[in-house]
Amino acid sequence: MTEFNNRIAAQREILLAVNSAHWREELYGMSSGALDRWVRANSLDQSSKLVSLLLTAAGKLFFLANKSQEQVTAEYRLCSSEVSRLAEEIRLEIRLSN
Amino acid sequence: MTMHFYAFGSICRGEVDRSSDVDLLACITGPNPDIDTDKFSVYQHDRLHCLWAEGNPFAWHLHLESRLLFSSDGVDFLASLGVPAAYKAGAEDCEKFALLFSESLDQLSKTRVNATFNLSCMFLGIRNVATCYSLWRGHPVFSRKSPLLIDSPLNVDEGTYRVLTRARVLSTRGIGDALSDEEVKLALGAAPAIQVWMTQLLSEVRK
Repeated sequence: MTEFNNRIAAQREILLAVNSAHWREELYGMSSGALDRWVRANSLDQSSKLVSLLLTAAGKLFFLANKSQEQVTAEYRLCSSEVSRLAEEIRLEIRLSN
Repeated sequence: MTMHFYAFGSICRGEVDRSSDVDLLACITGPNPDIDTDKFSVYQHDRLHCLWAEGNPFAWHLHLESRLLFSSDGVDFLASLGVPAAYKAGAEDCEKFALLFSESLDQLSKTRVNATFNLSCMFLGIRNVATCYSLWRGHPVFSRKSPLLIDSPLNVDEGTYRVLTRARVLSTRGIGDALSDEEVKLALGAAPAIQVWMTQLLSEVRK
């Protein structure tokens, strides 16, 4: 599988963790527009741990999207592993808050 | 610091609708934290040189559909790069986006959780297969409607295509009405025909 497909799979994994819980409206993507909409639609606190984790993960995914040609660098590898760690933290946070 | 700003994409084709945004490109050298990455696609000058040299579809897109808005040194940087190298990754790129489509369809067939995201990815797969195919054929179409406009167009009804486009806009920009279950089913129902079309394009580019 290509780096591009892996990055989409990482997004899907995070969204699956979030959307498996019950919300007024699903989170449709990891873009800032989609995250803003989801926070508003579900009346969430922008400073909550879950929202903060999602914003961090979105930032890392953005970095990966813009560094896809530099995927062999240590910085890229570190960022990839951080996304996996964040996905786990998001899953845990969802379990704790539902 | 040398900076070049461009508009590109739908605004340069005169293709606008109520969900259209204006695509902006910033070409810079070194970091520039003042440029909002939510508003601009930010590329280093060196990186654009590389994209041109490899004949990347984005280089072709910019070459054919961009307009200079600002230049700090009076140079039209993209024009100075000339014509991008020939596009050689047609088969590889089409396979990558066909895989995105099939994986997303597989997920959507299993569960309605993430339905909008998966439809958005299906749209991206369809649109990018069509665009890469058209570039490979030598008649590039970069429109959001490229699957309907290429030499071997996708035959789906307008309503279905609109659902897929709305999913993409919801996922990437958080704008628009949420999709209903009926709309998700409508898009899912078109998947077999889309797969046949995609297989046909893939077999051509693999030759």
